[in-house]
Amino acid sequence: MKRRKAGPSGVVEAPLDVRTQALAKEEERPSVKDGRLKTYEPGDNAARFLDLLGRRVSRSLAVSLTACVHCGLCAESCHYFLARPDDPTMTPVWKADQVRKIFKRHIDWTGRIAPWWVKAGTVRNDEDLNRLKNIVFGTCSACRRCTYNCPMGVDTGLLVRFTRGLLTELGIVPEGVFNVSRDQWETGNQMAVTEQDYLETLEWMRDELRTELGTDAVDIPVDKKGCDVLYTINPREIKFDPRSIAHAAKIFHVAGESWTLPKWGWDQTNFGLFSGDDKLGAFVARNVYEAAERLRVKRIVISECGHGYRSTRWEGYTWAGYDQKLPTESVVVTLKRYLETGRISVDPSRNAEAVTFHDSCNIARSGDLVEEPREVLRRVCADFREMFPNRRENFCCTGGGGLLSMAEYRPLRLEVAKIKADQLRATGAKLVCTMCHNCIDGLADVIKHYKLPMRVVQVLELVSNALVVPAKSEK
Amino acid sequence: MPHIEIEGLRIEVNEEGFLSHPEEWNEETARLLAKAEENLDELTAEHWAVVKFIREYYLEKNLAPMVRKMCQATGFPLMKIYELFPSGPAKGACKVAGLPKPDGCV
Amino acid sequence: MSEFLRILENEVQIAALVFLALVYAGRLIWIFRFKTRKDRTFAAGSEGAGAGYSLMNIAMPGAMESTRKRPGFYVQFIIFHAGVAAAIAGTFIIPYAPGVFEVRGIVLLFQAVIAAALVVGLLRLVRRLTNPVLREISSPDDYFSLVLLIVWFAAGALAVPNRPEKGEWPLILYFGLTAFFLVYVPFSKICHYLYYPFSRFYLGRSLGHRGAIPPSSTGKRTTARTAKERA
Repeated sequence: MKRRKAGPSGVVEAPLDVRTQALAKEEERPSVKDGRLKTYEPGDNAARFLDLLGRRVSRSLAVSLTACVHCGLCAESCHYFLARPDDPTMTPVWKADQVRKIFKRHIDWTGRIAPWWVKAGTVRNDEDLNRLKNIVFGTCSACRRCTYNCPMGVDTGLLVRFTRGLLTELGIVPEGVFNVSRDQWETGNQMAVTEQDYLETLEWMRDELRTELGTDAVDIPVDKKGCDVLYTINPREIKFDPRSIAHAAKIFHVAGESWTLPKWGWDQTNFGLFSGDDKLGAFVARNVYEAAERLRVKRIVISECGHGYRSTRWEGYTWAGYDQKLPTESVVVTLKRYLETGRISVDPSRNAEAVTFHDSCNIARSGDLVEEPREVLRRVCADFREMFPNRRENFCCTGGGGLLSMAEYRPLRLEVAKIKADQLRATGAKLVCTMCHNCIDGLADVIKHYKLPMRVVQVLELVSNALVVPAKSEK
Repeated sequence: MPHIEIEGLRIEVNEEGFLSHPEEWNEETARLLAKAEENLDELTAEHWAVVKFIREYYLEKNLAPMVRKMCQATGFPLMKIYELFPSGPAKGACKVAGLPKPDGCV
Repeated sequence: MSEFLRILENEVQIAALVFLALVYAGRLIWIFRFKTRKDRTFAAGSEGAGAGYSLMNIAMPGAMESTRKRPGFYVQFIIFHAGVAAAIAGTFIIPYAPGVFEVRGIVLLFQAVIAAALVVGLLRLVRRLTNPVLREISSPDDYFSLVLLIVWFAAGALAVPNRPEKGEWPLILYFGLTAFFLVYVPFSKICHYLYYPFSRFYLGRSLGHRGAIPPSSTGKRTTARTAKERA
């Protein structure tokens, strides 16, 4: 058996790249100038890291750091290790140990007196921090599959986010993370969509929908007060594919829903989840909650997005220190309600191709929705089939944790996507349905790279396809 | 640096298949990128309408145009853009037009 | 028995236990000094049910894919920890209820369980030394703790017949190692059993709040059953 030397496998050795940070400083970008967005500064970053670590460790993280018994059961639950079984640095336990050893050395007990005995270690300089950056941003999608397979309940997924947060505070992040954080701080959305672009796109979709349905009664309202539903979306829908907005608007119209989008606070996605920056997370989530208050709605509905759902429905309230007042749900739950109460009718034969469902990590493992999308799909599709494993044991699409914004880690991501590709292929389905925009791109990359004869769809699209629009005379 | 080799020519691209040096783009590059990345054997006049619009917009504003603008300028509905470029406006059309990769979880 | 052995079985054990208790108390205070954050969301499930399900994890091998895929590993875990329980029980029975070990059947039972645990310990040591992942992550404490327990099991298996007149060394080794063990444990990974309730509780409460666990009881199949379904 080969004895591997301890250390990163070398498969992700991206250098510390601060070009766009330097540019942002030069351009005096507001989020950099006022310090909301941290940049890399030369100096004793290792000491700053250790200080942050000590101040920020919470009780549940402390027990995750101390409870690991090095049993190795987590190894085979991780798609990184399953695809690279000769590489121990791909195991959750090894990755967690890279920050655990620092905790043992500086905060725990035995490691402070006899570090070598418990394999405690430290970070000494920027190179060490950069190496840690590559590990926590580049070799893990924070899918928490390992968490679910640990007999001690160690939450490696959460440890990875925590470590990312420390590095983000020091500006030691992949360029993509810096750029997207900057955009979300300054424009309120992850893709730097301007208010004008946002409003014009909504008008465009409204006009196309009116043409399609042949009626001016359908609308895409913005900032309408006193409605039942506040609909929040993913900026990707505005920038690249607004069809999903049209689908939602059509369904709301047929269901007779009273709804609106907000002018500000419409972005349900949240890069703070990926960068580990609770402050950014709080800012974005609060925009949504305050929009709901401002417009006096009764319910917040979140369009299909995994990390957006987890951030807006769950984490955001805690980050923002904001007590939840209104029901906050995924649009899939809204659709399920419409179907069950007969507010919309559907014809499943319109979705004839075989469909399988991919469970998004942030919705299933870190959230509550597993049966709901299936109940919708069974009503709107003629041939629904499961992939295996499924539900909370499903595998990450491989594009999670913000990896899609980090080009330097793409080769490894596609390599370990073999696990997902095999899983998809075994279903024999033509369509894979998911409730998450990141999963759409993650799965699309897997499909393209492994040449699978499939395409990715979302629940809204399938429901919209199957929607029976009543003739005008019936309305 | 990764690259694609196609028809004897070598084009430098980043890990996602976007041109490393956007300033090196020309029509031949576009044709080759379309073939390698989008599986398009040839680019029709409709493809070129979209590509040319994107290219000009980028050179003027140093930004990728929103898909709405693409549709407005070319007169194509959104469905058509997806038919022409299966990977979509950002990953497909903008890539063929030689733009750098847009930011964000895309 | 000699006075030395009597003190070793009694006062020394009590002293070691008191030390253990004090350090554990300190450890708990240390854990509770870390802060928790209040969850401000409406629940989608039950925190209590989630915490309960999570705490029961070691008794539910079917709950995790990792233990389902490796049932032998789980059986080893049970045997090993049964051995621990038996060996600890022995250190109380011998000084305070020696009549129990006058029953031959009970002595044989204890010996069998402890010997089985010893075999498992050896298997686990081999695994830790030869599996590339385990070699990469294991620290001296990991190896030492395992070796300590293996030797302790050997001593225990020999000591439980409780015949000091036939030779005191198994009992001296057994109680000596136990005393050392009690002093060493709080600074080693061996005290993972102290952390288990906390790590499982916090994880379980959080996931229970979100309705992620316990899984719904309507027998939904998550794993492949046929070769056709398997990737």
